[in-house]
Amino acid sequence: MMKAVLEVNNLKKELGSFSLEQLTFSLKEGCITGFIGVNGSGKTTTIKTILGLYPKDDGSIKFFGKDMEKNECEIKNRIGVVLDEGYFYEEMTLKEMKSIIAPAYTNWDESVFLNYINRFNLKLNQKIATLSKGMRMKFAITLALSHHADLLIMDEPTSGLDPLIRNELMEILLDFMEEEGKSVFFSTHITSDLEKVADMLILIDNGKIVFNESKDELLERHALIKGDNRLINEHSTKLFLRLRQTPFGFEGITNKVDQVCEQMKDIIIERPSIEDVMLAYVKER
Amino acid sequence: MLIFAIVAPIFNNSKLGLSNGSFISFLTTVLFVEYILFNMISFQEDKYKGAALLCTTPYTRNGVIKAKYVFILVIFIACFLLYNLAAAIGASYGLTRLSIYSVGVALLIISIFFGLLIPVQTKFGYEKTKYIFFITVFLTPFILPTIIEWYQSIDININFNLPIPQSIKDWIPFAIAVLMGLISMIISIRIYSRKNL
Repeated sequence: MMKAVLEVNNLKKELGSFSLEQLTFSLKEGCITGFIGVNGSGKTTTIKTILGLYPKDDGSIKFFGKDMEKNECEIKNRIGVVLDEGYFYEEMTLKEMKSIIAPAYTNWDESVFLNYINRFNLKLNQKIATLSKGMRMKFAITLALSHHADLLIMDEPTSGLDPLIRNELMEILLDFMEEEGKSVFFSTHITSDLEKVADMLILIDNGKIVFNESKDELLERHALIKGDNRLINEHSTKLFLRLRQTPFGFEGITNKVDQVCEQMKDIIIERPSIEDVMLAYVKER
Repeated sequence: MLIFAIVAPIFNNSKLGLSNGSFISFLTTVLFVEYILFNMISFQEDKYKGAALLCTTPYTRNGVIKAKYVFILVIFIACFLLYNLAAAIGASYGLTRLSIYSVGVALLIISIFFGLLIPVQTKFGYEKTKYIFFITVFLTPFILPTIIEWYQSIDININFNLPIPQSIKDWIPFAIAVLMGLISMIISIRIYSRKNL
């Protein structure tokens, strides 16, 4: 059985008018877990709370079986973090920024750092303020991967990046996972990135966890159904999580595939995308 | 800053012409240098929020706060060393070496100033702290004379005659400065531990 690298139990955090409501989920070792949700659903709040950037109001957070509050330094030595806005001192060069971050880690590996710098064509003497968004992300990943972290936590790492860099990042994650005992947890609203790499998916909406399961099982258990509007009535509507009707027909997401097949003929059944499933569960505001 | 820390005491002392001009020159120089450098760092921190990234590393929140106080102390020590260099160069301008007691009093004043500034800035942030201190500086000329008048009217004669050798009495300002610094640090740590980064 896979060990849990992160266990969150009944996490509560209030931030103005928004709150995380008794969040409970866990991450398995050896998996890439995608943390999905629409803008404002609580992804960043959750990640910042589990990292201790937002003090929690209640609940427990354990990394590698150890309580975060009591073993903070030991745990953070094993975590690589990439935040959505970087939070770099932009007047500094890459080298200067590294010289601040590196001494914090007991396992800092300069050769790995230089390897990534060369791989990403970054210049150590370049000021961070002059880097493009993609280059900043690459630098953030370089810092996160240069101390042999066991868990990589990333908050919207692909937001604002072009498809080429996003694809490159996904490949980096797959390379990272080749070593045993590694795990990745990253939040995104760009679900197409997760189609390629995610093993597990956690959906958060309005501060609550909606589902936490294997991507393959999730997509197996749901179906995208298309058919004629004549098939839609008061009874059949209840079979769908989300239903969209146009003059040309209907399209809906269901988690009751067998019942739909029994009750509706002449329909097209397709495998849904992660985005289709996510939108089916997210409440319209 | 390095050159300023050497030249300023010589210049100030030559202009002041007071009996304790050396102490005042040192105090004003170290206050100026400390405040400018601390302000530069606070501004950068407020602009880029780098402490958030630092706190995802094994640097703890406590470490970030302690670093601020250690920074102030290190700058004080550096200014003191540079002052001694200035005193060696500017002896002909009347700049003299400071006694342990004078250095202690200077450290105490620095400790009071930053002992207030750092917790206030930790609590309210860089921008709001600027306004708080601006208002304080603005109101001081109006409030201070009233306080001084009151103090003179109550006719208190505070005279401590502790039965301890003078060599130990000279270190009392240091001890109070360190104590105040520690209290301020504990308060700042408490405030920062509950702050959303």
